Amino acid sequence: MSEPRNPGMSSLHAVAPVQPSDSPCAVDIDPVEYTLRKRLPRKLPKRRNDVYVNMKTDFRAQLARCQKLLDGGSGHREICVHGLGLAINRAINIALQLQASSQGALQLAANTSTVELVDDLEPEDADEVAEPLTRTRNNSAIHIKVFYPDP
Amino acid sequence: ALLPTTENEHSFFHDSTAKAHHKSTPQPVPPAALKLGQDGFKKVCRSEEHSPCPFPGLASGVLEMRVKEGSKIRNLMGFAMARMQGEKGLCGGGEGGLRQVVFTGSGRAVTKTITCAEIMKRKVGSLHQLTKLQYKVVKEVWENTEGGTSEMTVHRTVPSISILLSKDPLDPQEPGYQPPETIGALWQDKEGHAAPSAIKRPPEPSLFSSLPHCKRVCSGEGVSVSPLLH
Repeated sequence: MSEPRNPGMSSLHAVAPVQPSDSPCAVDIDPVEYTLRKRLPRKLPKRRNDVYVNMKTDFRAQLARCQKLLDGGSGHREICVHGLGLAINRAINIALQLQASSQGALQLAANTSTVELVDDLEPEDADEVAEPLTRTRNNSAIHIKVFYPDP
Repeated sequence: ALLPTTENEHSFFHDSTAKAHHKSTPQPVPPAALKLGQDGFKKVCRSEEHSPCPFPGLASGVLEMRVKEGSKIRNLMGFAMARMQGEKGLCGGGEGGLRQVVFTGSGRAVTKTITCAEIMKRKVGSLHQLTKLQYKVVKEVWENTEGGTSEMTVHRTVPSISILLSKDPLDPQEPGYQPPETIGALWQDKEGHAAPSAIKRPPEPSLFSSLPHCKRVCSGEGVSVSPLLH
């Protein structure tokens, strides 16, 4: 479904320069100025044991949440830690930390995928004859199952 | 002994991923290493220590692509794709090239490593995948820039990923195995085999009602960040 139309676009670095919240200016799309608005990735499955790692929340808080899911009263046998783009590293870190502090009781099973993301380009000036545009790009994601293996 | 378990060292790992080593203070290393960079120390050398191959029993001739932070994806892919598809002039058309390739990367190169594997899966098709995560020990040598002759060595642990892509079937029981053509299907119903109880999330409106603790920080905005925070 996602053909390799532009391999460069799936690289994180291709999208990195644009920070919608920091800079209101547009990318390199002339002549009209656009605001780049990144939509959220869609269709997130969310079970009780799914954890979506982001770069906004404190790392230790996210690690603690995962730990709590695994050993709290509800004691899940497995949780899924998801990370997208820059958060991949953090997701891996969390999973490896959980494994290390479990004295080897926990196992990891990582899968990777590509997520299609949509950017909205909204014209800055409402008077200009510019159409709002959307662009899609790909980003990599990781899904790590952290689980106690069946005895 | 390299894997810390105490509470306050978690941030060390987090920082080391972000490669913030100029401002971070790695705690598990000798106290002398505090305030590296600010104290007139310069990193002169960085080398990865040998760690066991995450894929035991792998044939020795397998192409290993070591993805670094500064590697260009087009260079990596140009090389790897040519090897996997086989030089068209040499092999008489049809099936040629290598059967397997491994992409490895650590620290900030992890995302790029995954991207390379994802591109190759899309381009080649029908590839079996095995993903392994581990900590890698990186040795850094720092040198005093203020005339002194002192030098110190820092051992840093960074997360690393190894992705094996194979035209031949791999053991489906191995943790981290992914069958071919799961492109796109994974994010929607994640690991149906492992978690049959997975509930498909109902569409938009009920999304928020099912999250009672959801902070409505961005209810006025078209883009909502709430689902990611949970």
